Amino acid sequence: MLKKKSFIILTSFLMIFTLMVTGCGGESQDAATESQPLIVAQRSDAVVLDPHANNDQASSRVMRQIYSNLINQNESMELEPGLAESWEAIDELTFEFNLRQGVKFHNGEELTANDVAFTLNRALGSSHVSHIVGAINPDGIVVVDPYTIRIATHEPFAPLLAHLAHTATGILNEKAVTEAGEDYSQSPVGTGPYKLSNWLVGETVELVIFEDYYDEANKAKIEKVVFKAIAEDGNRAIELETGGIDIAYDIIGTDVDRVANHSDLAMVRDMNLSTTYVGFNAEKEPFNDVRVRQAINYAVDMDLIVDVVYLGTGEPSRGPLGGNVWASNQNLKPYGYDVEKAKELMKEAGLENGFKTKIWTNQNQQRIDIAEILQNQLKDINIEAEVSIMDWGAYLDATAAGEHDMFILGWVTVTGDPDYGLYPLFHSKTHGDGGNRTFYTNERVNELLDLARVNVDPAIREAAYIEVQEIVRDEAPWIFTWTGEELTGIRDNVKGFKNHPAGHHKLWSVYFE
Amino acid sequence: MADVKIVKKKRSQWMEVWRRLKQNKAAMIGLFIIGVLVFTAIFADFIAPEGYDDQDLYRRFIPPGSKHILGTDHLGRDILSRIIYGSRISLQVGFIAVGIAAVIGGTLGAVAGYYGKRLDNMIMRLMDILLAIPSILLAISIVAALGANLVNVMIAVGIASIPSYARIVRASVLTIKDQEFIEAARAIGADDFRIIIKHIIPNAMAPIIVQATLGVASAILSAAGLSFIGLGIQPPNPEWGAMLSAGRYYIRDHWHIATFPGLAIMITIFGLNLFGDGLRDALDPRLKN
Amino acid sequence: MHKYILRRLLMLIPVMLGVSFIVFTMMYITPGDPARIMLGESAPTEEVEKFREELGLNDPFFFQYGRFVKNLVIHQDIGRSYTSKRPVTIEILSRFPNTLKLATLGIVVAVVLGIPTGIISATKQYSIFDNAAMVAALLGVSMPNFWQGLMLILLFSVHLGWLPSSGFSSYKEMILPALTLGTSSAAIITRMTRSSMLEVIRQDYIRTARAKGQTESVVINRHALKNALIPIVTVIGLQFGYLLGGAVLTESIFGISGVGRLMVESINARNFPVVQGGVLFIALTFSIVNLMVDILYSFLDPRIKSQYK
Repeated sequence: MLKKKSFIILTSFLMIFTLMVTGCGGESQDAATESQPLIVAQRSDAVVLDPHANNDQASSRVMRQIYSNLINQNESMELEPGLAESWEAIDELTFEFNLRQGVKFHNGEELTANDVAFTLNRALGSSHVSHIVGAINPDGIVVVDPYTIRIATHEPFAPLLAHLAHTATGILNEKAVTEAGEDYSQSPVGTGPYKLSNWLVGETVELVIFEDYYDEANKAKIEKVVFKAIAEDGNRAIELETGGIDIAYDIIGTDVDRVANHSDLAMVRDMNLSTTYVGFNAEKEPFNDVRVRQAINYAVDMDLIVDVVYLGTGEPSRGPLGGNVWASNQNLKPYGYDVEKAKELMKEAGLENGFKTKIWTNQNQQRIDIAEILQNQLKDINIEAEVSIMDWGAYLDATAAGEHDMFILGWVTVTGDPDYGLYPLFHSKTHGDGGNRTFYTNERVNELLDLARVNVDPAIREAAYIEVQEIVRDEAPWIFTWTGEELTGIRDNVKGFKNHPAGHHKLWSVYFE
Repeated sequence: MADVKIVKKKRSQWMEVWRRLKQNKAAMIGLFIIGVLVFTAIFADFIAPEGYDDQDLYRRFIPPGSKHILGTDHLGRDILSRIIYGSRISLQVGFIAVGIAAVIGGTLGAVAGYYGKRLDNMIMRLMDILLAIPSILLAISIVAALGANLVNVMIAVGIASIPSYARIVRASVLTIKDQEFIEAARAIGADDFRIIIKHIIPNAMAPIIVQATLGVASAILSAAGLSFIGLGIQPPNPEWGAMLSAGRYYIRDHWHIATFPGLAIMITIFGLNLFGDGLRDALDPRLKN
Repeated sequence: MHKYILRRLLMLIPVMLGVSFIVFTMMYITPGDPARIMLGESAPTEEVEKFREELGLNDPFFFQYGRFVKNLVIHQDIGRSYTSKRPVTIEILSRFPNTLKLATLGIVVAVVLGIPTGIISATKQYSIFDNAAMVAALLGVSMPNFWQGLMLILLFSVHLGWLPSSGFSSYKEMILPALTLGTSSAAIITRMTRSSMLEVIRQDYIRTARAKGQTESVVINRHALKNALIPIVTVIGLQFGYLLGGAVLTESIFGISGVGRLMVESINARNFPVVQGGVLFIALTFSIVNLMVDILYSFLDPRIKSQYK
């Protein structure tokens, strides 16, 4: 007679049962799959699959597989022919590109110079990526014939070719974009080795092989690639260990050794293009005094900090540019940890009794840790620092407005060209919101940066950039902190995977063994 | 005369509550836990073996042992000391947030209940609106708007729990306001403000106290949750939720960093809940089983 | 009854308008420029300005709010996400199944654990089982669920390797999140069941039933439980509504792509349309669940039903 109770329990079990059935419905495996899919985990899901609608890493990593560029930049950051077979400079402002013939888009259309012109014009009008193509003069985009296009810039712009290899300049199909209208991002059409097959928003993006990929020799080797979003950092390693995924991007420091030492897993590690720095507000007392900035540079043991916070991943920065960036100056002399020297400099600046200041950072555990250690170490030279953690939006606002004292931020020189990694950060034209959040000003630096931007002679450019980096090192608007590393964990049977320094690794060379 | 009598009656009523409370073993355990906590918070400087920000980057991740009872964290700080100092923050957040909520919510509830009609309707609809927004989202947006620090966390957690106090006080005001002694006070010319403060609030106190005790517990939990998603108080202040959050990166190799702050939260909440339950039973003997 | 439901539904309109106004104001006063956040720290100022203009963020406050209400009322359109450009409704609805699944599983865990424990506790008041259950229940409400989640992952995923730590598609992946989310509700339901049962057991008609010589299980299950069920159902309903909106932390620990996490991400990204739409959606769900509980109530207790007429 346990009717009522059993009724409740029965219903409960029924509910569970239904849920499990419905819940697993989508998961039932197709027995006849031709080949095992490659499952790749990253921190977040792609936001868009329209290269002109956003410029975030998660989306770029997927779009790299879907779109192709006129020019490719390989894992050593060298330029290679892509959709353009060849190119030449016609004059100081203009390049002419010869396109490959017979290249097919995912929708069956054939690539012509009109698509290229359409893409570049659309990019120029985009509020998300126009800075990547900003140097291009829209009137200078001229279709010569279906397989030849000329691209001219307003002024001579040396890094143009590198910019054309950026994921934001992947070539779109005019017809597909026009037809899809506002929802283009849901149905992207490129010429890449994979095409979109299914997108579970917030969870997975599924790509399948594109059979008509133009580069016969480099056709994708795996039928299906699934990008899976796993937000909790440690969980990507756990999933990799338990075999739930094949490749995990952005393994965190605490997991690197575990993955490397695991019998079924391997780490693929390569330095990338990102840098983290501690900036001073160089317009504000007392940081407008170069001696104070230098003193702080001497007073902090950055090697130790990097070791503690990043646990042996990446490396302490030697300058504003990582070693992968062209013309980066790796011969800069590090300040080193020298508290006595720091005290001397503080005394010279009349601040031997120190001062009170604030270190700002956003909600990033590593940066918070750095701030806390800095706070502690600065006590040695009588600087009393308060750590303030801000929400990302408020943080960007306040540092752009120059309300800050010291702050911790990062930068990715995604094109691999020093112009991208120096101009916005140190030119006085870009103070505040434009990228130069230290409000650093140096006439010589301005001059050199302007010169190297428009000069097309690599030797002159290189010399200019080397000098800029020396000045920046000496004048210390930053404490150079950390150069990042691509930390990819893979399962042992995954072969042919290589990290790209820009983070958007190509997956069509990957195969299972 | 009448006033004196009421006060006297009040006092003996509270004595009676305390007598009943003392018989409740669970409540006494709860009270003991709270007592220990308050003691730790006040005398943290004497109890804690080290300061809460004594970093030593060369002694990181020491497991619990004789030298550091609960081990050290990822920056080489003594976890026990940080938990001890952390009790200050948690108690502050708990009590002040509840104070904010109880004062604002209580006033709104009292006004709504006492005046009734349109004012009541307006206030209670406003409460419905606040109640319809999930409290954690409300708190997140408030902290994002005001900036992340201790005071703003208190405000955020406080605002998010205003509606429950408003409802409780309103309900008890409704039952009290037509009783004879209120009529009497009104008859001798007491103004509304005086009546609310002197007569209505004290008589609605019992449910407020119960709600507040349990509210402190949930306020501490909410604040820890906020810290956990990175919107808490400023480092190096040792907030338990923030300690837990920082420790989760190392959880696989060094379980102790995230485990102990979590235990501290749990024990605190447990004590507050035990006491709150006991208090409710003591204040309303009808509910006692 | 119909009139009552209709009135309750109509009352939702001003409440929802109020919610939208509060959310809109909060988002407006919060520092942080959506355009800058979306474009990242390396985008040049002109581009950000252009994007602000596109999003209509340079318009005055009341103009922006007016436009929102107008679009909502006239076109039934909450707008598109600033980041993904997808319609907000799609953003939310594509994540809602996970949230619903999680909340349902959580409440199932809570009911399955809570009601039997509560009943046994009540029938064997002050027994060892009762005491242990009550301590366990109190610990259950006292445990921060983000901590519980981490500990479960540590035990079941890392050390034992039995269950996965993230994902939400197979039933194995759902066990830990459901346990984490359900624990505190289970505790609350246990306590409610116990006290409600105790109250009922002391009533006259139970004594009568016993006196009539009916077996204990009949007394408990037929007479007592039925009458004790009303407050229990209320609590279950309230908990369910709460779980639908309050799973933010559980979702983020287990990496479940649900509405709660979408909301937190959108608040951080100042993705106003999604925040606005999401809060309205959650508020509406919460209110409707409450209404449904009230209706259910009236079926369980005819005395209440008469009040609604």
